[in-house]
Amino acid sequence: MNGWTLAAALGLAGGLGTALWGVTTGPLRRRVVAQNLSTALACPSLLLLSQAYNRPSYVDLGLVLALLGPVGTLVFARLLAEELAEDPPRAWGATLTVAGLGAAAVIALCVATGPGRAMAKLLVIGALLISGNIIASRALSGGFRGVRGG
Amino acid sequence: MADAVIVVALLLVAGCATAAVATRDPMRQALVLSLLGVVLAVLFTVLQAPDAGLSQLAVGSALTPLLLMLTVRKVKRRAQGKERER
Amino acid sequence: MTRRARLWVLLAGGAGLAALLVAACLRLPHFGGKSHPYGDRAVHASLARQTANTISSVNFDQRAFDTLGEMTILFSAVLGCVILLRQTHDEHRARPEPAEVAPPVRRYALVVLPVALLSGLYVIAHGQLSPGGGFQGGVVAATALHLLYLGADYAALERIRPVGAYEVADALAASGYLVMGIAGLIGGTAFLANTLLPYGTFNTLSSGGTVPLLNAAIGMEVAGAVVVLLARFLDQAVEIEEESGT
Repeated sequence: MNGWTLAAALGLAGGLGTALWGVTTGPLRRRVVAQNLSTALACPSLLLLSQAYNRPSYVDLGLVLALLGPVGTLVFARLLAEELAEDPPRAWGATLTVAGLGAAAVIALCVATGPGRAMAKLLVIGALLISGNIIASRALSGGFRGVRGG
Repeated sequence: MADAVIVVALLLVAGCATAAVATRDPMRQALVLSLLGVVLAVLFTVLQAPDAGLSQLAVGSALTPLLLMLTVRKVKRRAQGKERER
Repeated sequence: MTRRARLWVLLAGGAGLAALLVAACLRLPHFGGKSHPYGDRAVHASLARQTANTISSVNFDQRAFDTLGEMTILFSAVLGCVILLRQTHDEHRARPEPAEVAPPVRRYALVVLPVALLSGLYVIAHGQLSPGGGFQGGVVAATALHLLYLGADYAALERIRPVGAYEVADALAASGYLVMGIAGLIGGTAFLANTLLPYGTFNTLSSGGTVPLLNAAIGMEVAGAVVVLLARFLDQAVEIEEESGT
């Protein structure tokens, strides 16, 4: 039993459970925001799991998700631009909350890891995660206004 | 405690997969499938299979949604083209 | 058969299947156990060849022939898609209108593209040390390139992605994997045997014999295949249109 495992389990159950509810119900704008925030919540959970199982090599999963998660959201933002233009999502509160949770998880992990290459890698992943999350949210709420069928 | 994470991941996969089957519109289904991909990758990680989890993340986060949405766009464009001809 | 009769047949079949599944699940071995004969031998063989990631050792050393089959599957699938999605004589190409993307998104795409590409190459190169390998890294690298389409423009993507070059790279990498296998035959042992190169030092980049080389070949093959596949889908969705009035 491990504090890290507990934190990861709570993050997964609460975060991805809410994302599941958001992606399956409601108007399109809620669904795309839920998809966006699901990757932003899964990445810190994977980093916490790597600390929980004491296997630093699992951090690569967090790196790939921090890089490709926002790309997935950009796919939806660009190819659903016409449908979203009529009813743009406005979920900055949720986005900033999730960004804050991600930052808290990364800081806690950096403290636990101690200075060195591993901490630098965690900080890079944290920066990619938070910037990707915010840019993807920006893209969903009107970033592709000038795209017509391209 | 480690078992609790596995149970959470399994329940999430079950819920997501059922939701993916229950969503009929391809556009919305693509969104649910993207979430299913992430949840599957988490399941593989908690079952100590990080290589499989990394494969799932690489393929399911951006590649599969892109292929699905491009196909939906092409089909919709064709339908619109036929509408305009009529 | 009426609809009700069909539903009753479905329910009866479903009940039978459920009963069999429950009976089977009750007799499954426990989740995790103490006796892993194959796993012990695989890990022992992997460590004997100084490969830190046992999965990579199984994929590219002990079962490299199966990976050759998987690579052929991907190659044929992409080949089939290229044939199906080609432009036919009653279709023409229409240049898509240039897109205006919000500047923050554009800047993000241009900054993250090299980072993602590097990460893909990092995952390929460290296949024998940490989770990853040729397939995962190849897909990450290929997806990174398409950030240029998502964050900027289809025309921008076309400039950095001459499809012919990627097709050639795909075929070359697939042949490279085969040639490395044949080198094992010529070197006097067996097809795809990992006995030609020194095994190196455990947990460093140059370890595992031919595992890093096969990783690189698979990485190049998968990246090329994914780029070609997406190129065909993008062509059909963005450029190719049917002739009207036929």
